Amino acid sequence: MQEKSLMFRMICSELEDAVGVENVSTGKTERAVYSVDYFWLSRKWQDAGEEGPMPEIIVRPGSTEEVSKVMKIANYYKIPVTTWGGGSGSQGGALPVAGGILLDMKRMDKLINLDVEAGHVTCETGMIFATLEDYVNEKGYSVMHLPSCMTCCTVGGALAHNGIGILSTKYGKMDDMCLSLEVVLPNGDIINTLPVPKHSSGPNLIPFFLGSEGTLGIMTKCTFKIVKQPEVRIHHAFLFPDIHEGYQACREIVQAVKPSIVRLFDEAETVSIIKKIIGFAKKGSFLNLTLEGYQKIVDAELEIVLEIAKKYGAEDLGTEYGEKWFENRITFFYPDHIMDLPQMFGTLDTVATHDNIEKIYRAMKSAVEDNFSQYGVRFISHSSHWYDWGAMNYSRFIIDNPPADSEEALRVHNQIWNAGVRAALANGGVLNDHHGVGLKLSRLVKEQYGPALQVLQALKEKLDPNGIMNPYKMGL
Amino acid sequence: MVSQKALQHAEKCRFCWMCRHLCPVQHQTGKELNTPRAKGLLLSMLSKGTAEFDKDMAKAMYECMLCDACVNDCCTGYQPPLFIREARTEAVVNDLAPAAVMQCIENIENSGNIYGAEKPSFGQDGTDVLVYIGEVAACKVPEMAKAYLRLLKKAGVSAKVLDCEPASGMMLADLMGYVQEVTDQAKSCADAINATGLPTVVVLDSYDAEIMKQHYAEWGCEIKAEVVTATAYVAKLLEDGKLTPKAEAKGAGACHDDDRLARSFHEFAPVRDIAKAAGYTLTEMFNKERLAKSCGTAVALSYMPGITTKVASGRWADLCRTEAKAMLTANPQAYLCLSQCVPEGMTLVDLYTALNEVV
Repeated sequence: MQEKSLMFRMICSELEDAVGVENVSTGKTERAVYSVDYFWLSRKWQDAGEEGPMPEIIVRPGSTEEVSKVMKIANYYKIPVTTWGGGSGSQGGALPVAGGILLDMKRMDKLINLDVEAGHVTCETGMIFATLEDYVNEKGYSVMHLPSCMTCCTVGGALAHNGIGILSTKYGKMDDMCLSLEVVLPNGDIINTLPVPKHSSGPNLIPFFLGSEGTLGIMTKCTFKIVKQPEVRIHHAFLFPDIHEGYQACREIVQAVKPSIVRLFDEAETVSIIKKIIGFAKKGSFLNLTLEGYQKIVDAELEIVLEIAKKYGAEDLGTEYGEKWFENRITFFYPDHIMDLPQMFGTLDTVATHDNIEKIYRAMKSAVEDNFSQYGVRFISHSSHWYDWGAMNYSRFIIDNPPADSEEALRVHNQIWNAGVRAALANGGVLNDHHGVGLKLSRLVKEQYGPALQVLQALKEKLDPNGIMNPYKMGL
Repeated sequence: MVSQKALQHAEKCRFCWMCRHLCPVQHQTGKELNTPRAKGLLLSMLSKGTAEFDKDMAKAMYECMLCDACVNDCCTGYQPPLFIREARTEAVVNDLAPAAVMQCIENIENSGNIYGAEKPSFGQDGTDVLVYIGEVAACKVPEMAKAYLRLLKKAGVSAKVLDCEPASGMMLADLMGYVQEVTDQAKSCADAINATGLPTVVVLDSYDAEIMKQHYAEWGCEIKAEVVTATAYVAKLLEDGKLTPKAEAKGAGACHDDDRLARSFHEFAPVRDIAKAAGYTLTEMFNKERLAKSCGTAVALSYMPGITTKVASGRWADLCRTEAKAMLTANPQAYLCLSQCVPEGMTLVDLYTALNEVV
């Protein structure tokens, strides 16, 4: 679109009619702030003085009906639409790489219903997740979704990436918490999933939209289950001689009891980040584990955990370091506490069954360290979300002195990602555990799905025939 | 452009999203632009030549309450208000600030206060303490100032109020940063206070108290008297039995912790002591004390009434989720902002007037 053209102004006028004049912006200053999200490459681009991808028009809808009106306009004119919640995603999923309309959802932050007796809460998806948690906490309850990005992500962003929080091992991730959704389709139609997520009334519609990253529609309202705050929450830490014993012990623990937090760190992360943030300074594989609920049950669970940890040679570190970790759970993500430019870094998180997860850890470590040693790459990893069937690895690469040139940096960055992700795929893993695909991993979606991708493509072509929804993301 | 220190803070904040949930302006406008990280990012872009400091950017720098909620919650020590204030200086110097901001500055230049009005005289020439009223209470909420002075009288405290009370510099600092004109105002104010020779200055508006207690010394204009917040002073009078309230039940109320008491002084108990003495049964809003959500400031209300009223309504929404029907405040700026949008069935209470009713 030509910014000063008559047609551009006509479309802006139509959008203003839909959401109000004050909720449509085309000024460069305002557009510029959407050119950077948490994706390393967008940050590198900005830091190097390059102009990042910008939308042409920012639209801030205040209701589902307004989203619907905007989508009808965008679909008619075939204008790309990128949805922006908090912009805190690390995969470039919210970057408006195709220009067009950027739908900033944060005006849609209303609490619609909170029923503690029935155990659910409904809100609009532009609400910051921490705000939702505050509302629920006021009544002594919790959604139990406590990710590190909780203070900055929106509810919609968490849903769009099928996000996960630190208490996931007990309470699950977004797809375990979401009971129903309201969605605006690319043609502007407003639909609702069925009132409950578990049924035999035809396929469940929720999974089509969770994790779809704005490529199939815009989630506008969500109902989550809520739970009463636990009677007790206790933290405990252990040190294993090696991550191998740690993996074995954690597998056995999560198959026996239900901890809320299980975070197993490899030695490289134990002696670097754990040492820096909580002051624990021994070599080995650090584990912090949290149990919560009724005291009687927690006591019994702890007894089992201690037995299993002992069996695998763990040193019992007591409660101190587990408590310190919990107190500092967000500190890790503040400036000067987390990796930052000029460093190059990325989180190669993946998830697999128990028989594959250690294999993936070693294959990915080797793929990164062996192939990129010329850059002085470091590899650290922890496993922080566990299921009775498997676990995830949150593996990170760090290069302290990456190429200064933006294009060369992009090349190296993507080569490392390709190597790391392919190591996961070759050993029973997937592209990503909870950050999403976005722009960062879009090129690898075909490799992951193979011919199964046609299922998603068919869905995309039917729901979004004009291809306007978050173009170039998710490999769609 | 901004100083190296301010730019360093902006560069650290540009990729950090952690405090946005506490930003009252972001909450009410839903604009990404109104997040601390966006403002830091813009200044970073400016330093790299990929953005221009134009009227739009200047306007963005004024869409902030300088409430310090972002600073308070951060474990790093980086401070968005630091670079936002400096950006405001640039906006004024380069004639890019919004017209409403320039009007406020002009009013201060012409009349000494933001309202362009003459401050009323309170006719107090006592000998125990000096009470610094401040321009908001004097010009917009005089009932609160008068109620405060009546309380002191009932407690047997002989209070003096300056006839031509100079501005503290607080409002000008919010409008154009910590510039020479602000320190000039501060010096005049400190001189006038010091000239009274009184041992104690009780400051009615905690925003004035903040600049006096936390900036005057570094500007070489220290106040010789002990500077005390009005809330702490009255709470002490209650504690010492110099004010003896009658028992009177007024129902459930929740105290609003204003930005400065909450985050500059971490002073929470006195306002609650006053509320209890006034007969209120206290309940708490979820975001309280250091995490209390700003309800706006008088200066912001002057140059952007729409957004500031929305911010105040956000605080009322916090109250409406409690059992309380009364919002209790002892700050004239909070009172002024909250009075713009009192929800049906709710009451805004000036705690000094309320206390006067029972002593």
